[in-house]
Amino acid sequence: MKPPEGMFDESVIYVTRQGAQVQVDGGRIVVWDVDGDEGELASFPIEKLDTINVFGGVNFSTPFVARANEHGIVLNYFTQHGKYRGSFVPEKNTIAEVRRAQYDLSRDEELAIAQQMIAGKIRNARTLLSRKGVRGTDVLKDLGVRAESDTTKDDLRGTEGEAAERYFHLLDETLVDGWTFEKRTKRPPEDHINSLLSLTYVFMKNEVLSALRQYNLDPFLGVLHADRHGRPSLALDLQEEFRPIFCDAFVVRLVNRGVIDHEDFRKDNRLSDDAFKIYLEKFENYMNEELTHPHFEYTVTRRKAVRQQAILLRKAITDELEMYHSLTFTK
Amino acid sequence: MSEELVNVSDLNQHAYCPRRYWYLHFYDTQGRNYERIEGKTKHENQSERGNWLNELYLESERLGLKGKIDVLDLENGRTVPVERKRAESGDYYKSDEVQLAGYCMLLEDHLDEPVRQGAIYLYETDQRMHVPITEDHRETVREQIDAMQSMTVDSIPPFTDNPKKCEACSAREYCLPEETARLEPKKVRGTGWEGRI
Ligand code: SF4
Repeated sequence: MKPPEGMFDESVIYVTRQGAQVQVDGGRIVVWDVDGDEGELASFPIEKLDTINVFGGVNFSTPFVARANEHGIVLNYFTQHGKYRGSFVPEKNTIAEVRRAQYDLSRDEELAIAQQMIAGKIRNARTLLSRKGVRGTDVLKDLGVRAESDTTKDDLRGTEGEAAERYFHLLDETLVDGWTFEKRTKRPPEDHINSLLSLTYVFMKNEVLSALRQYNLDPFLGVLHADRHGRPSLALDLQEEFRPIFCDAFVVRLVNRGVIDHEDFRKDNRLSDDAFKIYLEKFENYMNEELTHPHFEYTVTRRKAVRQQAILLRKAITDELEMYHSLTFTK
Repeated sequence: MSEELVNVSDLNQHAYCPRRYWYLHFYDTQGRNYERIEGKTKHENQSERGNWLNELYLESERLGLKGKIDVLDLENGRTVPVERKRAESGDYYKSDEVQLAGYCMLLEDHLDEPVRQGAIYLYETDQRMHVPITEDHRETVREQIDAMQSMTVDSIPPFTDNPKKCEACSAREYCLPEETARLEPKKVRGTGWEGRI
């Protein structure tokens, strides 16, 4: 198969240069060094972008914000060290019919979608482990089957929890000497590996948020994660299937290839400034790296693959497709 | 009757592929609003120079149509609507003729005299082609309007019966006909995508 053309190329940019300003110049977005004297740092055609992530002391010109609004460009704000602070979401982002379909989903329909996501996640966890030669994943196989036959969301959450525990237990075996994975800790991440995982989940969550917004889904209305004020539940749901195969695999690659070392962390387990820049660059390359799509067999970047999942999710919600089809890799 | 008037430019979308129009109509309301506003302001600024007229906005309750004619030529006492097209292939589509027929019918209604001919201007080749509007064209326009007005969000039109059209279709990256054929072969039954995988 051939991929549809012109999809989402260069659709996300990151601005990390402190003291930079994002401006518009005709049909282009220009990142300008206002504090220093380097002038134009980069420029991008406006109609290609849908997300701009800025870190720390970066600001926007007023005409730029107006343009971003007009073109439906989402702006995500992070601290200089990658902690998420908030977003600017353009107003044209709702399409009544999509929202109506999303609000009208029955419990059963939500469960069916969530089952595909969790079963997909478990499948991908197994695949990552077996790519790394880790054995003993049969339990995961059984849990995958169970996910598809659970009849309540609580049961499904239970299955997911059990699978996660098994999987993280085995993840340690994928790491090179000098690195260990004890257990998953979140707030705060207690070691370097957990810190990298948390950071990567934040970045992937933002990829997924952009994708959902691009297709006008309400990211705050989940199918499995409980709706809690201010939590993008649907993004967390859709993120599940990407966690092992994209996020964890990325972290494993960073440490196994020695891109990130223990020396790159500060006392509080956060990456040092220089290491964080490297991390960002690697993450961006990783999302733009091409792979063969496991279902469609054409070449796509990871970013495109994620965005296509948002399309498939929307189609499942608006009844264009019978069911949600998660992105699963079987080898 | 309070049925929504159909936009002449959407006749083209629908004639090309009903599913494409369905996406546009139900899932891209913003774009449409924009078009409507633009149509209005341009109409107010309409200019008349020499023997041609720019940007004429017309509506007809009777036909169920509305639309903006780009250029109206006044040739020896005859009025000829001109539709400008970008066409990389150097030719226009059948659906462009349908759109042109829509303009001719609107104009007829407005002028109260027959308009039997329109023209398509192609940027690429700087060519202007005259297109006689037949009863067939008119019938197609009426059928399209009917079909478009009775479309609902819950009745999803099938994929096109001519997969070639998908190649040039801007809705493709969202529509995903070939991908659907893979994931849910049932959904493409009876369309041009059946059996193509
Ligand atoms: S991609 Fe094909 S089926 Fe889909 S809207 Fe376009 S022409 Fe129609």
